[in-house]
Amino acid sequence: MNTIFARVLAGRLALAAALLASTMLAGAASAGTLTLYTSQPEADAAKTVDAFRKAYPDVEVNIYRSGTSDILTKLAAEFAAGSPQPDVLLIADAVSMELLKKDGRLAPYMEARLDGLDPGSYDADKTYFGSKLITTGIAYNTGAAEKPQHWADLAKPEYKDGLVMPNPLYSGAAAYMLSGFAGDPGYGWDFFQKLKDNNTVSVRGNGAVLKSVASGEKPYGILVDFMAMNAKKDGSPIEFVFPSEGVTAVTEPVAIMSTAKHADAAKKFVDFILSDAGQKLALSQGYLPANPAACRPAWMPEGTKVNIMSVDVGKVVGEIDGAKKKFSEMFGG
Amino acid sequence: MSTAGRSRQGQDLVLTGGIVAIIVVFSLLPMARLLQEIVLPRGSFSLDVVASGLVSRTTWIATWHTLAVGIGGTLFALVAGVAVALLVSLTDVRGRQAFVLCYVTPLMIAPQVTALAWLQVAGPSSPLLNALGMAPPIGTRNPLYSPEGIVFLLGIQYAPLVFLIVRAGLRKLPRELVEAAQAGGAGRFTVLRTVILPLMTPSIVGAAALTFVSCVGNFGIPAFLGIPANYLVLPTLIYQRLAGGGPAVLSEVAFLSVLIGIIAMVGIVLQDRLSNRRDFRITSTSLPAAPYPLGRWRWVVEVAMWLLIVFILVLPLLGLVLTSLVPGYGVVLSSATATLENFRFVLFDHVAARRGFLNSLTLSAVCAVFAVFVAIPLGYVIAWGTRRWVKALNLSVELPYALPGVVLAIASLLLFLKPIPLLNVQIYNTVWIILYAYLARFLVLAVRPTITGYHQMDRALEEAAQVAGAGLFTRLRTIVFPLIAPAAMAGGLLIFMTALCELTVSALLWSSGSETIGVVIFSFEQGGDSKYAAAVSAIMVAVTFLLMLFAGLFARKLPDGVLPWRD
Repeated sequence: MNTIFARVLAGRLALAAALLASTMLAGAASAGTLTLYTSQPEADAAKTVDAFRKAYPDVEVNIYRSGTSDILTKLAAEFAAGSPQPDVLLIADAVSMELLKKDGRLAPYMEARLDGLDPGSYDADKTYFGSKLITTGIAYNTGAAEKPQHWADLAKPEYKDGLVMPNPLYSGAAAYMLSGFAGDPGYGWDFFQKLKDNNTVSVRGNGAVLKSVASGEKPYGILVDFMAMNAKKDGSPIEFVFPSEGVTAVTEPVAIMSTAKHADAAKKFVDFILSDAGQKLALSQGYLPANPAACRPAWMPEGTKVNIMSVDVGKVVGEIDGAKKKFSEMFGG
Repeated sequence: MSTAGRSRQGQDLVLTGGIVAIIVVFSLLPMARLLQEIVLPRGSFSLDVVASGLVSRTTWIATWHTLAVGIGGTLFALVAGVAVALLVSLTDVRGRQAFVLCYVTPLMIAPQVTALAWLQVAGPSSPLLNALGMAPPIGTRNPLYSPEGIVFLLGIQYAPLVFLIVRAGLRKLPRELVEAAQAGGAGRFTVLRTVILPLMTPSIVGAAALTFVSCVGNFGIPAFLGIPANYLVLPTLIYQRLAGGGPAVLSEVAFLSVLIGIIAMVGIVLQDRLSNRRDFRITSTSLPAAPYPLGRWRWVVEVAMWLLIVFILVLPLLGLVLTSLVPGYGVVLSSATATLENFRFVLFDHVAARRGFLNSLTLSAVCAVFAVFVAIPLGYVIAWGTRRWVKALNLSVELPYALPGVVLAIASLLLFLKPIPLLNVQIYNTVWIILYAYLARFLVLAVRPTITGYHQMDRALEEAAQVAGAGLFTRLRTIVFPLIAPAAMAGGLLIFMTALCELTVSALLWSSGSETIGVVIFSFEQGGDSKYAAAVSAIMVAVTFLLMLFAGLFARKLPDGVLPWRD
């Protein structure tokens, strides 16, 4: 192999390989790389990480983004394989966190700075901390024939073939709403059966619902507040209502994994999310921040009354898997 | 003399050994590992995986869907591709070069980009229809979210493939036969039906087989059009299982991927059967037959041809660009609402998109360079070598490309889920596993044009050098390499363009930090951010056009038929 041709060839290949290694793996392999699994929409997650990196420039962040329920499935597979990847989670709801906490997957962070936060917004054992308040209400296209105001409207014949909702097997906020409604005597499974009878379609996540409603493929949708409001700000023909009889609200908690390889960096991430800067960022992204001191988003003027349904998290934790399964059989997804 | 002879033999041995090693690593190894998972899971013979796969209802629904869109897409592509090839090759239409360039372009654009672009054309929120005031009422479903939509787009994507193969066949059409039939008083359509089409059977059947394999293995189009409609084909079923279940479901999806492989193989075997039934050998090479004069119909046909280009190329790309300029869903596009914000976001703000651009560029460049350097000695051994069994190995280089990309992706996962033995290096969840799969899959794209180049080359120079005492490696370096380099580099360019927007393989192999551009587009669309997906896609289409033009500058130095879009 000792000829010039071979040496040139080997040289170029080595060069190419070295180039590849230096450009792509340098960041990924360094010790200060935090791995975040989040259910925030792609663009918001990118902005969150960007702002975090400005506050803590020495920490690199890898993001994996998907729906909360999807992330739980992925985590279950990773636990089974013995190699959970994330250091820190930022996912939709407390129920999902409780499921992980129950199996000892979350690490407590006793020193977390919680000034100004409502004690109900975080876990008493300090394993997860709510960062915002995200409600699920009804969105409709401004060109739609009807203007829905109440949940019961959606079961009316005028809404036949017109409603789209996020799949609880993908979205955490939708799973939380499903458990809340299914366990409430005022709605129960009967409500979902009526939606099914109205040919309601269940799509992959809130992003897909937004797309469907704003683009007019379906005039009505069950959707999280901030997505509808942000799209409206961008000029999309969409309106959002909080039905007065009550809406479910998730808290988008942040938590550190008990298997975190970069626990210090994970703590910095939690600090950032709960800090003034983190809460202001959430506000600028159109969310209602967990800390009331950070004000309200422009779309929610002072005095807006939102009636939040109380959901028994402890009870839901035991029932959610069964509820998802039942929904899946009902809606075929 | 004896030492020189021994060293020469040694060089030959090193070359052959190196090539066999490459073929084993990139082609035989992944396929062997996949088969092992199916019949010998955990080391002992068992058909449990096969059995549980066979009883699952979802498996059969997805298999049926795969066959349906595969056959439908193939038929659509065949009709469109053959008709256009006949028109372009046999008649006196003008502007052929420009037309072929435009007609073949959809083949060079990644399937998921085609799908995304077409989705913007139809539906109530289409910026195009809204600007024209023709948008359907609210509540109308985009008609492309359906099996018919998938068949339609597969047809448009692969009609150029049929066109290229049939056109190559028509170039060899014996003039005497056509003229003899005409002299005998046969009309145009009789000649077409009784002489030309029968002679073209091998090309048409070959094109059908290749298109069928491409259709059943396609991921981008059924992913964008089928998943929202809950219409799953095998590749998208595998993707969903793997995305939800991770490595735990590998055995199960391995079975599904073998199922796709079998469907593809059946297509190829059928082709072999069909073309062996009769003797289609053409005895002489002759000048092309005189084109049919279309007379006063000529301009009608020409207008129709360019309308076709507007329909299959201009319309979807316009839809794509308009969507990339929209600030939000359902906003009516006007000079007041149009924005470049989406481009700014994907280019400067979104870390994963930026990383995707970098990853895809590096992956495709490394892959292209590596393939060029491997293809030259490999082609040498296959085209000019004396060892028969090495030539037979050529077939196995074709294997990873002949099989759908999903199959190779699953094989790579199986191969590298655990650290590589002896070296103890973990490449699962890194960009290296994507590089490996790309190399295995695309190597043949550089080998094919290189072998064509060798066959068109005079061997005298190399033989002269050999007589003068130059060793094998010296000859390869000083004589063969400069002569064959343009053909191999054209192959490298094809690899670069194909790998740049690749999705099928990377959708299954990516992890955070190793996103490719294809994955970024797919993630945006799945998250409901079509405007960002459109912006990234528009950038990639522009890059593809520039590369095609760039390659055109060197077209004269290349062997015939190496750049598919050059007529």
